[in-house]
Amino acid sequence: MSLNTIITVLISASLTLMSSMSYAEQPDYMVVVNRPNNLHVINLATETIDRTCELPGDSAPGTVAMSPDKLTAYVLAGRFGKIWGIDVRNCDLTFSTDLSNGNIRVKSIASLAVSSDGEEVFTVHNPVRIMNDHYEVLDTQFAVYKADAGLQAKPVRTYPVPRQINIIQTADDGLVYLSGPDVYSIEPKTGKIETVIPSRTANRPGFSQPDILTVWPIGRVSDEFIRMYSIAKFDESGDPDKAEYFWGFEQVILSTGKTNVTEFAPLEDVLFTGMHRPGKPNEFYGVLTQLKRFDVNSQKVIKSIDLERTYYCINFSTDGSKLYLAGTYNDIAVYDAETLKKLGNIVLPGGDMSMSTSQVFSSPKELSNAKK
Amino acid sequence: MKFLKPVNPKAHQVDAAMELDKESDGHLEEVVAMQSVVGCTSTTDPGWEVDAFGGVAGLCQPMESDLYGCADPCWWPAQVPDVMNTYPDWDKGADSAGNDWRKLGEVFPADK
Repeated sequence: MSLNTIITVLISASLTLMSSMSYAEQPDYMVVVNRPNNLHVINLATETIDRTCELPGDSAPGTVAMSPDKLTAYVLAGRFGKIWGIDVRNCDLTFSTDLSNGNIRVKSIASLAVSSDGEEVFTVHNPVRIMNDHYEVLDTQFAVYKADAGLQAKPVRTYPVPRQINIIQTADDGLVYLSGPDVYSIEPKTGKIETVIPSRTANRPGFSQPDILTVWPIGRVSDEFIRMYSIAKFDESGDPDKAEYFWGFEQVILSTGKTNVTEFAPLEDVLFTGMHRPGKPNEFYGVLTQLKRFDVNSQKVIKSIDLERTYYCINFSTDGSKLYLAGTYNDIAVYDAETLKKLGNIVLPGGDMSMSTSQVFSSPKELSNAKK
Repeated sequence: MKFLKPVNPKAHQVDAAMELDKESDGHLEEVVAMQSVVGCTSTTDPGWEVDAFGGVAGLCQPMESDLYGCADPCWWPAQVPDVMNTYPDWDKGADSAGNDWRKLGEVFPADK
């Protein structure tokens, strides 16, 4: 073995060691909200709660979007009408906005995202003007706030968007994807909007319209904007009694913008959330009262288990080895992603998570080293 | 309204409003979909719904685990007060639906 080879091996070994040390120093964290007004910052390596921050109002719906540096958790709460930014290192309230203004009541249905540079916060306004004797439904708007606007933030730009938008998510290139009757992209600097996945407007011969439910913007750890649909496939007769029913997903890869629409399994159980296992594009998992692991290519169920109770919101560890089931009551169930064997529960002080979205991320050192 | 005939004063008013509207700007012709106003009521009677297959096996278990998830967004199966707008304190002091469901009562309009 030459000296050069020995040096190369030593450097390589050192880098590997540093890499593993670096990984060990940066555990996964979860941020999730529960009743009455708690935001929990959870170290997933130790499955312990680092801190519980008090939100300035009701937790519902508890939609969470993390800033790109993972130091600020933005929460859509206050009965679907307020957004708060919380510094997850110390619970400081850094951002606040009341979506409503005067006699115009504004709600956002789980629409919350942060720009890829962390400088702007996005939501969707569904405004209603409340008059003495009637309500006037106003146009839906995509609203942009400056992240450093403080505690009385007002939108700096608004753009018209289609009605019935729920989850939104920012891609790596800065485009924001919107889940509505179809899946749209919007350029947040200009408001230019495009349909990237026709869904309600899709015309697939032999198929019904897809049926979609989502209020959970998960998928960041698996690099995807994701929502599931159920769909009927008809034979030549078109008879609904002879139709086959499937689960499918509509997906946008956040790093590339590539879109996929794929049926991945027969429709056997009701599921609320589902996503790909990080690093395993052929494995899809879904949850409600069952936890199911699917092989996408063969459209087969690899494994299905009955849960002790219902959980709404699935998420993965960043390496794809563990599953975290959240929502409904106040405990997070931890499962081995390979075997679906239960590993434990993380019990949250406080009440129900209800429809809160759990966000999992690899923590920056500023968070994992922050004073407990 | 082609196949409907008004039989009481309120229905007559609706009919008259439609006629009046046709003579003006036709504004009422447009039916605007709202996202989340259907489902919230003034009574508490959740758990009666059926699942997508017409049975109950696909419903959330237990029912209480699904109560706030349906109530918060005024989701259709939850016959509960409008906690999004009118009665945001309906569940105050009842943070756990599974433990505190007995505290959840009916609501009544307040005097103006």
